Amino acid sequence: MPAPSSPIRKIIHIDMDAFYASVEQRDNPELRGKPVAVGGSRARGVVAAASYEARTFGVRSAMASVTAIRKCPDLIFVKPRFEVYKAVSAQIRAVFAEYTHLIEPLSLDEAYLDVTENRAGLASATEIARQIKAKIRETTQLTASAGVSYNKFLAKLASDHRKPDGLFVIKPADGPRFVESLPVGTFHGIGRVTAGKMNALGIFTGLDLRQQSEEFLTRHFGKAGHHYYHIARGIDERAVNPDRVRKSVGSENTFETDLSTEQALVEGLQPLIDDVWAYCQHRQIGARTVTLKVKYADFQQITRSRTISTVLPDRTTLERICQELLQSILPVTQGVRLLGVSLSTLSDETSTPNRQLTLF
Amino acid sequence: MKFIVSSSVLLKNLSNINGVVASNPIVPILENFLFKIEDGTLTVTASDLQTTMTTQIPVDATENGSIAIPAKLLLDTLRSLPEQPVTFQIDTETFGTQILTDNGRYKLSGENPIDFPKIPAVNKNLSVELSSDALLDAINNTVFATSTDDLRPAMTGVYLNLSDDKATFVATDGHRLIRYRRTDISGSANTSLIVPRKALQLLKASLPEGVDVRAEFSQANASFSFSTTQLICRLIDERFPDYENAIPTNNTNVMTIGRTDLLNSLKRIMIYANRTTHQIRLSLKDNKLTISAEDLDYSNEANEILLCDYEGVPMEIGFNAKLLVEMLGNLSAKMISLEMSAPNRAGLIIPADKEENEELLMLVMPVMLNTYA
Repeated sequence: MPAPSSPIRKIIHIDMDAFYASVEQRDNPELRGKPVAVGGSRARGVVAAASYEARTFGVRSAMASVTAIRKCPDLIFVKPRFEVYKAVSAQIRAVFAEYTHLIEPLSLDEAYLDVTENRAGLASATEIARQIKAKIRETTQLTASAGVSYNKFLAKLASDHRKPDGLFVIKPADGPRFVESLPVGTFHGIGRVTAGKMNALGIFTGLDLRQQSEEFLTRHFGKAGHHYYHIARGIDERAVNPDRVRKSVGSENTFETDLSTEQALVEGLQPLIDDVWAYCQHRQIGARTVTLKVKYADFQQITRSRTISTVLPDRTTLERICQELLQSILPVTQGVRLLGVSLSTLSDETSTPNRQLTLF
Repeated sequence: MKFIVSSSVLLKNLSNINGVVASNPIVPILENFLFKIEDGTLTVTASDLQTTMTTQIPVDATENGSIAIPAKLLLDTLRSLPEQPVTFQIDTETFGTQILTDNGRYKLSGENPIDFPKIPAVNKNLSVELSSDALLDAINNTVFATSTDDLRPAMTGVYLNLSDDKATFVATDGHRLIRYRRTDISGSANTSLIVPRKALQLLKASLPEGVDVRAEFSQANASFSFSTTQLICRLIDERFPDYENAIPTNNTNVMTIGRTDLLNSLKRIMIYANRTTHQIRLSLKDNKLTISAEDLDYSNEANEILLCDYEGVPMEIGFNAKLLVEMLGNLSAKMISLEMSAPNRAGLIIPADKEENEELLMLVMPVMLNTYA
């Protein structure tokens, strides 16, 4: 139950159905009705999205492409076209904006909306969800699933409940009961590892979770324990936050074959440096921390980072820091399958010339 | 292997060297203290590869041996124990360690001491004896002005020059510079080196007052020994900027003023300055100093007038108030003088009342003021 002090909120979670794959099927009739995976089919590829036809074979997003092909030999791989997805994403956000300014996008194809007070002056959140779904279909020829409830956690569970093209409402009185029967692994924020840990503790369903004390949960799961305690009761006070501030800018790449020489690693870094630097330049973002991520052939992953006292002045400096971080892990004792560069400690302060005079 | 030691003595000694232990070290073994017992003396070592500290404690032990023990776990245990003799019982096969106390027994898994990095030997080229008070003064006067910018490694430490009649300590971050000299420390040969900031901060935290310190330097390392503690650090192998030429000599505009009056005024005015540049304006004319600041974005402004003793032509100069406040706050002199030549050249802050054996000079670069036509 929500805190009695605040009025009951109305939150909608909108999730596009098999977004990337649906866009591809929309734009290429030959793909319709067939198992489609967006992503790279080659040895190191990963499925970014799978069509519903592919999902019946057990193909899931984030699955290694080789595994996906094993599960579904007829799987058709399509290269992702992010520019198109971004354009569609802008279209659906324009639809959201007709109803509320409280929009919290989670990714290109997913967002929370707070419609407690809405522009259309509609009293029914269910009606708003229905209209949004219809408008998305009209403008993009794609389907979305919507979940309506009194908080973010339940709205997300609801949108997942009737996928695809679903609309499901969890009313305040039904919240706790709805949570009871679900396996904990389906809860947003409880991943594979946490779910495994919960199962080991004898917690399988929402009901099992609710029977644990808050003290027990914080002992086993730290700060997240509070959150778990509350969501098991259908309580989630998190606000829909329209301007989540970006905390880091990153780019990474899994290589076709593992890299082992210094030269290959240095070369592998260049496009990543270009990527993050171009992004920061374009958005006028200043960054002070550079992090290098390295994943070895055995999937062991390490990061090395460095923070400097002023924002990065130019690409050369960024490159120099990346190279120094790289030097600190050389020579590598095994192949490197992935390199990543990310910038954090971001600020609006760009590298404008300082009027403070320097000594040397 | 087994030994008995007072919990509070061990805690005090470990706390002295614990600052070296990094929270997320490159080599996991460095999360441990290395314990080594030799003829009734326990030597504990902590290291982050760059800096190593050791401390020695007499203990009750019948055999010799070594073990690496997790630093955080051990310190947390000792901090919560009432003072008492505690017994360490170590299985040298499995490195399992048990701490037996009046309250109960605590079992923790140690690590193979062989894995702990070797302490670098300092093949001394130069050895200097000095008092801990002199060393502390030198550190306190300089270390705050070092740079934290890893891209300019030479400036992340304090430069030390030893000659036959004095020792010179210099720190700079590129915007300000401190030169501190002492005539009661000297070396036989003219030697220059750069000691990393972290090592000096660790020394500052662990050096007791009124003890003798032996400092030894080799090409690559420095060692500081005092009481039963030793700190060894790698020196920064870089060329220090040519600081002598950066200190202007012909400064004809000199303001002399009470240090705390100036400091307090700056602290108030600074509140109204731009939050990123902390830019303030000093206007000097006759025997009057006007300090002002404005933040154009928020239309905040403030100004104060202080009386001073000023010799020179009327001038206006801008500074970063944060730098000035930090520097003035680090001084103890009653009166200071600010010597300047031009609004685009460095200002020198010099304590008017000097300590014996000491000479201190602080330099700060100005901020270019907007000139409103």
